Amino acid sequence: MKIELFHAPGCSRCAAARESLKAAAETAVTGLEWREVNVLDEMDYAVERGVLSLPAVVIDGELVFSTLPTPRQLRAALIGRNLRGH
Amino acid sequence: MLTIGKLAALAKTSTDTLRYYERERLIEPADRTESGYRLYDKDSARRIHFIKQAQHCGFTLTEIRDLLVLRNRDAACCGDVRKRAIEKKLQIEHKIKAMKSMSKALDRLIADCANEAHPVEECTIIAALEQAVGRVH
Repeated sequence: MKIELFHAPGCSRCAAARESLKAAAETAVTGLEWREVNVLDEMDYAVERGVLSLPAVVIDGELVFSTLPTPRQLRAALIGRNLRGH
Repeated sequence: MLTIGKLAALAKTSTDTLRYYERERLIEPADRTESGYRLYDKDSARRIHFIKQAQHCGFTLTEIRDLLVLRNRDAACCGDVRKRAIEKKLQIEHKIKAMKSMSKALDRLIADCANEAHPVEECTIIAALEQAVGRVH
């Protein structure tokens, strides 16, 4: 499973939440691919993924959170997708 | 202090626009004359310039109201404003993408319409649009 955290450099909320979200994701699924996307470097890609607000979380190419989730919400989303066979 | 007319002239805008900004809670008169006419201070002109610049960058009046609040909030930092600017750019880029897609769809319709002398009932553009409507229903 691939998780992409779209953020803007200097976003203090993103920096504070990054590690706890990554840790939550790693406990929820195995073989996790974690990528942090700076929207200023990859604006076209962010638009392609439908990101309109920051920070945002895209899971396997699908925009799942358009605001910063809590580690618990992220974990629940990942487990739910795993169960549905994504 | 400035009357609404003088402020409008200074800010290169109309008095109607200033009244509209007031209804949208973007500006407010600093005082009123005894007869009830609005009076504005010099900061109002700067505020109007700010509003117009922000509109030029695509911000809506609601978003501009938030920016004006941030501008006066001690706890806010430049990062808060920057985040809004980046999000606005994302929204604009998204609209550009959608409009490019519309433009390409029109290109296809125009290219498919090879004979402009055909009667309108044989027009391939109208036929294609009717098919598109059929798909929607």
